[in-house]
Amino acid sequence: MIRDITIGQYYSVDSTIHRLDPRVKILGTLAYMISLFTFRDFAGYAVAVLFFALVLALSKVPFSYAARGLKPIFILMAFTAFLNLFWTDGTVFFRVGALAVTWEGLYKMIYISLRLILLVLGSSLMTLTTTPNQLTDGLERIFGPLKVFRVPVHEMAMMMSIALRFIPILIEETNRIMKAQTARGADFESGNLLQRLRNMLPLLIPLFVSAIRRATDLALAMDARCYHGGAGRTKMYPLRYRVNDFVAYGCLVAYIVILRAVVWVCPW
Amino acid sequence: MKGLGSEKMMGESKPKPEKAKLMIDARGVTHEYSRRDAEGNVMGIIQAVDGVDLQVTPGEFVAVLGANGSGKSTLAKHINALLVPTEGTLYVDGKDTGNQENVLAIRQLAGMVFQNPDNQIVSNVVEEDVGFGPENIGVPSEKILERVEESLKSVGMYEYRKQSPNRLSGGQKQRVAIAGIMAMHPRCIVLDEATSMLDPSGRKNVLDTVRKLNREEGITVVLITHYMEEAVEADRIFVMRQGKVALSGTPREVFGKPEILEACRVELPDITKIGLGLRRAGLDIPKVVLTEEELLSCVTGSGAFPEKA
Repeated sequence: MIRDITIGQYYSVDSTIHRLDPRVKILGTLAYMISLFTFRDFAGYAVAVLFFALVLALSKVPFSYAARGLKPIFILMAFTAFLNLFWTDGTVFFRVGALAVTWEGLYKMIYISLRLILLVLGSSLMTLTTTPNQLTDGLERIFGPLKVFRVPVHEMAMMMSIALRFIPILIEETNRIMKAQTARGADFESGNLLQRLRNMLPLLIPLFVSAIRRATDLALAMDARCYHGGAGRTKMYPLRYRVNDFVAYGCLVAYIVILRAVVWVCPW
Repeated sequence: MKGLGSEKMMGESKPKPEKAKLMIDARGVTHEYSRRDAEGNVMGIIQAVDGVDLQVTPGEFVAVLGANGSGKSTLAKHINALLVPTEGTLYVDGKDTGNQENVLAIRQLAGMVFQNPDNQIVSNVVEEDVGFGPENIGVPSEKILERVEESLKSVGMYEYRKQSPNRLSGGQKQRVAIAGIMAMHPRCIVLDEATSMLDPSGRKNVLDTVRKLNREEGITVVLITHYMEEAVEADRIFVMRQGKVALSGTPREVFGKPEILEACRVELPDITKIGLGLRRAGLDIPKVVLTEEELLSCVTGSGAFPEKA
């Protein structure tokens, strides 16, 4: 059913990683992703892969499930790999017609592919173990200090969570309008790209009208329930760091220290 | 709107002792808006609500009837201070809705359930949506949990608390919306055609819930509806026509005036219609029959006769 879709594909299971504060997971993922750009050695990758495997095991998310995130970026990966393989200057060791493969290219292709894979796996592990609501809460708290600079942090978080709430509703609506327009003779399937885009208009216009109407209704309903921005607002489930969260931060620091040490010591 | 909420009204608001005699007190409430053409020129001024006087006492169950465009929804939005009268004044529990400082207090006192169940649910988890109102008025976290639990139980939706609202039926969604209002500890609930998008069983569930809250918790109910059957059990009915209150009284009084109702384009309840038909056919039946039991007892001749209107 279309209404069952979840954004970010939250994998519902109870694990140590799932129970962590979303802030730990967001900041941890960010630190992990940045750490991937700090080395080119295979020893470093060994540490990064090991760390990922450890977290994955703790999260109880099956690897096959986590690896699904790789599918959409497969083409991008193949493309970067191809470019790196053939367009890197260096010692040529193999030739296919006009294309030359260099040792440096081969090396670059491998480490860039690894980096991409780990980037995607790392970030999808975060969305697999954190509900969209926790994510918005976490982001709101992390970016909270920016309120000093008049960044509407609360408003942005609220918009994000409302968007998440309405995605399934609008998808359902799209289907309904599509059926209604098909019944009136609209054709969404044939023609070239331009024609198809133009044929989308009878779908998009009612959809926008309806979305705007829903937004007006919702704004009224929120007003009626005393919503007046983030000031003076409390939270039903406020984010609080627990012991585990500090342990997790500790692990993260340990990972970075070990990574740096390994990269420093190992020459390759 | 920002920063209006004085910290005093936020947080715990205990049910106050009867401060004001009236829950809702509308005095000559008029609401005008100008209709504009495509270029934005004023085409005319429409008085959606025109000099309405309406008093509702605490704990009362009041129904507001009227055809489309009779101004009943516009009036409803005044009770929640979503609209402010252009003329006249409206007091909710003694507070003037025209005073900006009262707005948040009034919205907490008088909750509002809207027509479309989907468009009034904010969160994608039931319990978090119910917690939205208390969060807004700054209730401490532990108290929110208590309130959410208690109000979800009062509408019979507690077992769905962890679910996504998208998986609920229309009637269930409206009950979640009612729970969201109950969690703010209101004294009055306004239902603005809240049952019009529901199927019969959903409609019944929602109404039963509302009646229960009215009876057991003394919540004042203002029910705006198209369905006469829903109005039959109200303490009082107001019928609106062209922005004015055309008729008001107990259901028996109101449904005893079919000529005025017809002018207001409001129909009689089915049972009343059947009763009238039988009466015309020569049966000894009072002019206003409101429930199936009444009609049955009249037809079979057993049981107590209702007073003749």
